[in-house]
Amino acid sequence: MTAVIRLDQVAKSFGDLDALAPIDLEVGAGEVVTLLGPSGCGKTTLLRMVAGLEPPSSGTITVGDTTPSLARATKVIGLVPQTPALLPWRTVEANARLLLDVNRGANPTPVPDHVDLLRQVGLGDFLQAHPHELSGGMQQRVALVRAFALGSSILLMDEPFASLDEITRADMRHLLGRLCEQTGAAVLFVTHSIAESVFLSDRVVVLSQRPGRMVGSVPIDLPRPRLPAIEDDAAFFEHETRLRALLHEGAGRTGTST
Amino acid sequence: MTGRRDRLRGRIESLRLVAAGVVGLAVFALAWEALVRILDVRPFVLRAPSKIVPEIFDDPRFFLDHTLTTGRHALVGILIALVCALVIGAVLATSRFLEHASQPVLTLILVTPWVAYINSVVIWLDSGTPPVLFMVAFVSFPAFTFGTVAGLRSADPSARELLASVEASRLEVLWRLRLPSALPSLFTAARFNIGLGLAAAYFTEGAALSPAGLGWVGRRAIAFNNGDLLWAAILCTAVLGVIGLTLVTLLERLLLGWHVSQR
Repeated sequence: MTAVIRLDQVAKSFGDLDALAPIDLEVGAGEVVTLLGPSGCGKTTLLRMVAGLEPPSSGTITVGDTTPSLARATKVIGLVPQTPALLPWRTVEANARLLLDVNRGANPTPVPDHVDLLRQVGLGDFLQAHPHELSGGMQQRVALVRAFALGSSILLMDEPFASLDEITRADMRHLLGRLCEQTGAAVLFVTHSIAESVFLSDRVVVLSQRPGRMVGSVPIDLPRPRLPAIEDDAAFFEHETRLRALLHEGAGRTGTST
Repeated sequence: MTGRRDRLRGRIESLRLVAAGVVGLAVFALAWEALVRILDVRPFVLRAPSKIVPEIFDDPRFFLDHTLTTGRHALVGILIALVCALVIGAVLATSRFLEHASQPVLTLILVTPWVAYINSVVIWLDSGTPPVLFMVAFVSFPAFTFGTVAGLRSADPSARELLASVEASRLEVLWRLRLPSALPSLFTAARFNIGLGLAAAYFTEGAALSPAGLGWVGRRAIAFNNGDLLWAAILCTAVLGVIGLTLVTLLERLLLGWHVSQR
């Protein structure tokens, strides 16, 4: 599989504080890789470096076949931040096309139909609504559509469902799973939810506590397309148990229960 | 059906609020009238509404012309201040050093008693409209600049990163994110500047020796010891202030329907 994101010995420190130990990582075309780890382990820092929003202290990052900053300029990356970051004065429809409205010269041809995407995620009746009229889950759906509307081959998602309740969160990961399978984009997904990582990923990379280092890389061999019912499968639980054990190992603990 | 009922309820509530304001003003005018009559206040200190209103209706054209002149002075001066503040504020918002360097100067302009140096400005810019516009713009400028800088900086950091992730230009970020984010604080500054700008227009018109504007009318009333004329000019200035604030409120409702302050 061709790597569309490649990290070679990438490390990050802020002054005297080591945030991320040297790390090697590859994400192939169409592959969904999740970074799983405790809060403060450097997952978001790593994602921001791939997005070209933060320079690494050492090592090299390749996105597509170029640098992160050139990838930004050519709108190769679709970013979904932790908060929906919707502009409150824009309607749902206008928010969904926000990234298409700037740096227009780098827009893909043809431009994906963002209204159709909004309809697909169940927001067809809310095109002219403003963000304050939507629930948290609906706002996050707009944020997902905004990233997918770029038609990017690379999606970076930073704990997009962290602030949602458990039921909405489950709905959102099922929706995201569907969208990812449809588009075939390479996805680097950050979370500290084990269930989310198993459901969505082809591979889960577990990071230790700060400074984040790779504790393990676990392939998730569950069949695709993945339906919500797969979360009741014994194989799903096995993956969860294994990842939980790795997380404890990364935290320097030996038990498997919290 | 529910939507129509909600709209009707909203309209009734708006009318109720307007009616409450009118009642409040009527009570105030009655108390004012009673106070002047009971305490037998001297004409130049305070005139009763029953003396001021007829003074205006004796020559409505005269008061309308001068009110329009003062309104124009205040509006143009405030708009000049707004444009300058947007340009300079946008530059200051790019650098903490520049922002801190400008703070003492802006604070100095804001706190210095500007009435004290009006005559110097008139000598510098000569009589007529220029010193009036200058003073209105000068005193309104700091609040708009503070509002611009604070507002531009208040843009959602996640949204800024999002736009950076697709290499949006500075101008695009300013236009699509930072300026709309600055609107709430600019409206707050505008409310503050309506009173300040009108006062600057009134006092500078009085000092600028040109026969135009309510400030000039007030100055002439003082020179001729005419209490009715003075208080008629003051009332017209107050009406201008109310009109200005109402327009700002309406514009705010139109442009800031999304903001939490309007819900």
